[in-house]
Amino acid sequence: MLLRLLDRVEEAIISLLLVAMTLLVVWEVILRFGFGSGLDWGHEATLYLSAWFVLFGVSYGLKVGAHIGVDAFLRLLPPLGQRLLTGLAVLLSLGYCGLFIYGSWVYLAKMEMIGIELQDIPVQRWLADSILLVGLVFLSIRLLSLLWQVATGRARGFRRSDEAQEGLHLAEGLKRDDSVP
Amino acid sequence: DDPILIKFAHVVAENTPKGLMAERFKELVAEKTGGDVVVQVFPNSQLFGDDKVLEAMLLGDVQLAAPTLSKFGRYTEVLELYDLPFLFEDLDAVERFQQSPLGQEMLHSVEGKGLIGLGYLHNGMKQLSASKPLRTPEDAAGLTFRIMSSEVLEAQFEALDAAPIKKSFSEVFMLLQTNAVDGQENTWSNIYSKKFYEVQPYITESNHGLLDYMVVTSAEFWNGLPDETREQVAEALDEALAYGNQIARDKAIEDKRKIAESGRTEIIELSDAERAQWVEAMKPVWQQFEGQIGRERIEAAYSANRP
Amino acid sequence: MTTATLFALLFGCLLIGMPIALALGFSSIVTVLLFSNDSLASIALKLFESLSAHYTLLAIPFFILSSQFLSTGGVAKRLIRFAVAVVGHIKGGLAMASVLACMLFAAVSGSSPATVAAVGTIVITGMVRSGYPKSFAAGVTTNAGTLGILIPPSIVMLVYAAATEVSAARMFMAGFIPGLMMGGLLMLAIYIVARIKGLPSQPWSGLREVASAALSASGGILLVVIVLGSIYGGVASPTEAAAVSAVYAFLVAVIGYRDIGPLKGVPWRRAGEDALATLVRDAWQVTLALPKCIADPEVRKVVLDASRVSIMLLFIIANAMLFAHVLTTERIPHQIAETIVGWGLPPWMFLVVVNVLLLAAGNFMEPSAILLIMAPILFPIATQLGIDPIHLGIIMVVNMEIGMLTPPVGLNLFVTAGITGEGMGWVIRAVLPWMLLLLLFLILITYIPQISLFLPEYLDSLRGYR
Ligand code: NA
Ligand code: NA
Repeated sequence: MLLRLLDRVEEAIISLLLVAMTLLVVWEVILRFGFGSGLDWGHEATLYLSAWFVLFGVSYGLKVGAHIGVDAFLRLLPPLGQRLLTGLAVLLSLGYCGLFIYGSWVYLAKMEMIGIELQDIPVQRWLADSILLVGLVFLSIRLLSLLWQVATGRARGFRRSDEAQEGLHLAEGLKRDDSVP
Repeated sequence: DDPILIKFAHVVAENTPKGLMAERFKELVAEKTGGDVVVQVFPNSQLFGDDKVLEAMLLGDVQLAAPTLSKFGRYTEVLELYDLPFLFEDLDAVERFQQSPLGQEMLHSVEGKGLIGLGYLHNGMKQLSASKPLRTPEDAAGLTFRIMSSEVLEAQFEALDAAPIKKSFSEVFMLLQTNAVDGQENTWSNIYSKKFYEVQPYITESNHGLLDYMVVTSAEFWNGLPDETREQVAEALDEALAYGNQIARDKAIEDKRKIAESGRTEIIELSDAERAQWVEAMKPVWQQFEGQIGRERIEAAYSANRP
Repeated sequence: MTTATLFALLFGCLLIGMPIALALGFSSIVTVLLFSNDSLASIALKLFESLSAHYTLLAIPFFILSSQFLSTGGVAKRLIRFAVAVVGHIKGGLAMASVLACMLFAAVSGSSPATVAAVGTIVITGMVRSGYPKSFAAGVTTNAGTLGILIPPSIVMLVYAAATEVSAARMFMAGFIPGLMMGGLLMLAIYIVARIKGLPSQPWSGLREVASAALSASGGILLVVIVLGSIYGGVASPTEAAAVSAVYAFLVAVIGYRDIGPLKGVPWRRAGEDALATLVRDAWQVTLALPKCIADPEVRKVVLDASRVSIMLLFIIANAMLFAHVLTTERIPHQIAETIVGWGLPPWMFLVVVNVLLLAAGNFMEPSAILLIMAPILFPIATQLGIDPIHLGIIMVVNMEIGMLTPPVGLNLFVTAGITGEGMGWVIRAVLPWMLLLLLFLILITYIPQISLFLPEYLDSLRGYR
């Protein structure tokens, strides 16, 4: 129950970030075209929203199997081989996260020590950039969960078959829709 | 043992004054230190953009950069001086002030944040370009102008009743070409190299502002150099800056000529009376920023116009 | 050694099925760790910069959002009906219409993956529905989508112009004829294949149907007008136009066509309702519908689907930039340039080398990154050999188009994989035959400079320059 709620909150935050980004850009166009003025923080805010959108959403992408890989070789192997290699890939991905988490920790600590703000928004830079660390920690958690699934035989690759069904499936739309010649 | 490595990251092409200065610096350092110090130049934002390069420098992965003076707003308010409109009449005045004790002292204004300014490099005096002719300040009222992120520049266009629009440099051409913004301010060399003159029918030779760079390094790196090496590098940099500044001056004249000869834009020269109107319209900005820049600095800079 | 490690790591990671974004990032950061003095902190900073400093790239999520609304919200259905009515009676007509649609969107988007995302989502569905093999539909559209960077406006051309200081305006003009030519070439090939394979054509449905389909599809067609109009009419930059098109697409789908969202099934006018009552009811319902969308499951699903694809793409791009960053700090491109100059080649041989080099780079890197690194290196050599900078630029752009289609890093492939739900291997096989056509086109562009130079030179002569 709590997990379901957390999932909902996560989806809502991701959607909100994309919508906020879109509306902010449109609002700037309206301001400039309609009223000949601009938002002095608009440009920077849009860019930061996009960074938050991607970094916050990366772990969600892993959960729903959105991250594309090359699976041609993997498919040639028997299920156990697939699981072993995927396990290795997940471990390497965790290595990626570990290295970046360490790097961003050092970076954020340095920024916090020096104490500079963003260019146009009065927010400390380390705070605005902290999503780098947060996003990668979330990604690590999801990777650990995937590792567990691979170990217990419930998953064989990054794009899990059950989730992949849910993607942008055109074929399904076709079956549903017969109103067109 | 291994030579000391200086990574010099900048965001413009190799054939610009800054790019040529960087290459000259590289040669001079090799010459003066006998190979003890090696400079690697990374042009075209290959390493970092102007915004993040200072952070990379604080992390110790870039040793030298030369961002626009306006980019230091989050490190010190003092350097906003150089953005004030109609403060300097020409590059001679700029140089007199920059070489003065006060100007040299301002290089150290970023030290509190772990950076040290090593010298100034010109791009040149800024001109106004627009989709319609700008002769008096009233002509600019109601128009949109692209600016880089700077409070002073924002105030400058607001003083004209124009709307400043902050956009990154790489987007300016597109915005001008599609008339998404009406105008912009830049130096002759940028207007030429970025082809803004092809999409802006009018350029007013206003010389209203300054676009200069500060060559900057991290205090940790600089103070960690052996004394002798530091002097050699500083010497090489001074020579390279003098070389770069001369190129910038020549290029401004050359590029203005090329723009005029292209026939794609009309260059508007201001009469003394018209110019006085622009000064009057923009000068209130000085008072607005007096508190953060320091009145004595503004006065000293202004008096550099009369040697 | 460094280069070998970098590429070996990348291939190894890809082989064991690691997501492309993570494979690029992992091989980059490990190479830095092993061979360079750079700190992990600055690599993390670079990743953040790649995600937060490129306003132009934001056109991608906006166009994806827009096309999600268009494809879910019944606009696709109506556009296809229109396309079928107009060209469906020609053999392979719908495939031609898809190429045309890509050309139109190319005139809007400036980005190749965004073009595939916007058009592909709509037309691949339609073509499969009309009886085309899915791989044929995906192959044609993925290839035609590369026109996004050849037909102006083009983000890649702007990058080239910025890196070499040639005129972006002239680059845009130079891309126009090659863009039309490549579109024409694709359509010709489609016609030939359609004849041989006996691909479907619909019976001619009459002018009445054309007009009625056009009216019904006008909500979608108007999008092209709005986006094109706002860019050329001076309201917006491509990123902004993309955002406007997303909001517009939302309004068309939810308020206009009412195929999804809170107003689903509610008619604009009920039978027997008088005009005033209709007006009041509609005004009230529309006002109420906008806040209701926040809770509407269909609208939320569209936004979430768009988010998923956008996050995946932007994360790959950011890691690809990191990869390019490592190449640059290791000065690998510089070594290549020195080697080339050492060979002392004649111009035609140099151009062969340029193409091979760019095609190779296109396998691994994102176009803007390639251009930023390679253009400053190749440009001076080309100038020395008397090759026109604009011509070189178009050659580079066409190479970048092909790079979008080659694995392992081919953004168009990723988009198509995303929108068809198929694997990379399937998409690559679908794209390959049409990519050969693009290679042929590259040869034409390389050795007939007039294709690129005619229009800018002609326009210059009209205006009396030079
Ligand atoms: Na385009
Ligand atoms: Na590729």
